[in-house]
Amino acid sequence: MTANLLSVRDLKVSYRVGNGHIDAVDGASFDVPRGSIVGLVGESGCGKTTVARALTRVIADNARITGGQILFDGKDIAAIPERQMNALRWRDIAFIPQSAMNSLDPVYTVEYQLNEVLRRRGGLSAREARMRCESLFEMVGIEKGRLRDYPHQFSGGMRQRVAIALALALNPKLVIADEPVTALDVIVQRQILDQLRELQTMLGISVILVTHDISVVAYICDRTVVMYAGRVAEAGPMAGVLTRPAHPYTMGLRNAFPDLAGAASGTLTPIDGAPPNLAEPPPGCRFAPRCPFSIEVCSTESPPLAEIVPDHRVACHRASEAPVLREIAARTETWLAHA
Amino acid sequence: MSHLKAVASRTLQLALVLWAVVTILFLMFRLMPGNPMAAYIDPTFTVEQQQALMAQFGLDKPLWEQYFIYLGNLLQGELGQSFRYREPVAERIFALLPNTLILTFSSLFVAYAFGILAGAYLAWRRGSAVENAAIPLVLMTRAMPEFWLGMVLLAVFSFWLGWFPAGGTRPAGADYDSLWALYTSRDFLSYLALPALTLAIYSQGLPLLLMRSNMLDVMKEDFVTMARIKGLSNWTVVVRHAARNALLPVMTSFAIAVGYQLQGNVVVESIFSWPGLGRELVNAVSASDYPLAQGAFLMIAVVVILMNLIADMLYALLDPRISHA
Repeated sequence: MTANLLSVRDLKVSYRVGNGHIDAVDGASFDVPRGSIVGLVGESGCGKTTVARALTRVIADNARITGGQILFDGKDIAAIPERQMNALRWRDIAFIPQSAMNSLDPVYTVEYQLNEVLRRRGGLSAREARMRCESLFEMVGIEKGRLRDYPHQFSGGMRQRVAIALALALNPKLVIADEPVTALDVIVQRQILDQLRELQTMLGISVILVTHDISVVAYICDRTVVMYAGRVAEAGPMAGVLTRPAHPYTMGLRNAFPDLAGAASGTLTPIDGAPPNLAEPPPGCRFAPRCPFSIEVCSTESPPLAEIVPDHRVACHRASEAPVLREIAARTETWLAHA
Repeated sequence: MSHLKAVASRTLQLALVLWAVVTILFLMFRLMPGNPMAAYIDPTFTVEQQQALMAQFGLDKPLWEQYFIYLGNLLQGELGQSFRYREPVAERIFALLPNTLILTFSSLFVAYAFGILAGAYLAWRRGSAVENAAIPLVLMTRAMPEFWLGMVLLAVFSFWLGWFPAGGTRPAGADYDSLWALYTSRDFLSYLALPALTLAIYSQGLPLLLMRSNMLDVMKEDFVTMARIKGLSNWTVVVRHAARNALLPVMTSFAIAVGYQLQGNVVVESIFSWPGLGRELVNAVSASDYPLAQGAFLMIAVVVILMNLIADMLYALLDPRISHA
């Protein structure tokens, strides 16, 4: 048994667009230790959802995993035949989608949809399935009388709980949650995150939490993987990455978000500009065009993901100067001057 | 209960629509040029005889009075006397209605069963050679006029191959103990085959194309992707989730199709000498048999309106978002 439930190595996912292709994920590597919540964070289009979906191997018709390994429990699930992969789905790797409204089938009751996975995928009898449905609803704090309700009869937060119950139905080892609270208001966000954390601890499962919201990561995650333009910019223990970020992008991201815990930290500073067009990515570091600290080498050579302190990796040419850069990055004018 | 209330308000709407139809029918025949009795009254009749006949049919009364008499009679199920057959219109119509309904529904069931399955299949095989060949073919069947299609089928399967009879509902001289015995006989089926096939070919395009495009939309929905992530079988994903949802608008189109079909029946029943309401309607209009034409129109309107009600209720049954809103 390996310490890491999941190890993604140099994963590449490519979309065919017209005659060309876009490498939405271009060599992503990170680990998910057993029993931990790993936050996969980055802005829209950075490839985080593509990574999440690639782990299930249910990806868009025009997408393809073009390289790398996905070691799940020591087995490379990027390379196994589809039939074997399908056996793993939901039993070992479950998924919580962003919008539970659209991801629940509107014409069936939630009980039907729970039963579907319990019986078709879990092989439970009708009796066992009914009991399991009730205990799952109890687990996520919905009264069991509502099992017979249809998805549209639930509120947004409740639906997300249903989605969590659905994901936990077959006792998976890994739950991938793709922006599970993004569509909810902050109060409900917090309730759902608390519940997710509680269940994760209770069941000892691993969770990958995909989000664009760094405050969600700060609130719930053990580890963080910061993605930028299809690559991992920085990865490590959550506290280390967020309190002592070594990548300018993480520093900027931290300035750009309010705190979910409520501490008003003054002004928010956005990172100017937009991520690069992945059809023609810039040579060298992909963040260089927006980075206030870029030097010559940044626009010619791509920085490798290297360990700066144990268990904390960063892909930046100036990683060794991180403490100094952090101080400069904390000032608003750094980012304004660059713009 | 809100459920009952919905049904009640829907029924009230139906009554209003029906009243409007009835009124339009009443006015339509009275606004048509010429005397409604022209075909019925021999020009050699004396003026007194003509007026006596007019009085017998109540045509000497003012329009508003005629209207109320007409409404009152309708409420009692009285549709008047046919000028041509000199028998009650209601009797005539109810004798023909089963033929029309059997033709309409048998052809539509075939068309919808085929259309739904083929549409779902073509959506699933999107971009394949099968799809590329099938879509123009379907569009072609949609474009073929039904009278032409009917005549071609008649020429090939009846006159040339001799597989099916050319028209009517039963062999000459054949007699049956009851209508039920007729409708369940093999003869009847062979007479039904060609007209029903004509209508089925003509109408399968709508459910097919509708089902296909709905499927293509639904297949992009999150819950279909989720069903795949759940590791459910292809069959479960495509049939239980995608097709089940794509089916909803197709079911509503069925009711609308019944309306179109009754209209299409006029042509097909004439070609295959099928003794139905449509053919009778054509004959009644050309013979200026206004009471009969009026009755036939009314019957067709009633069927269409009823089908709409059924479609609404069916939709509520199939889509929990409607019934549990």
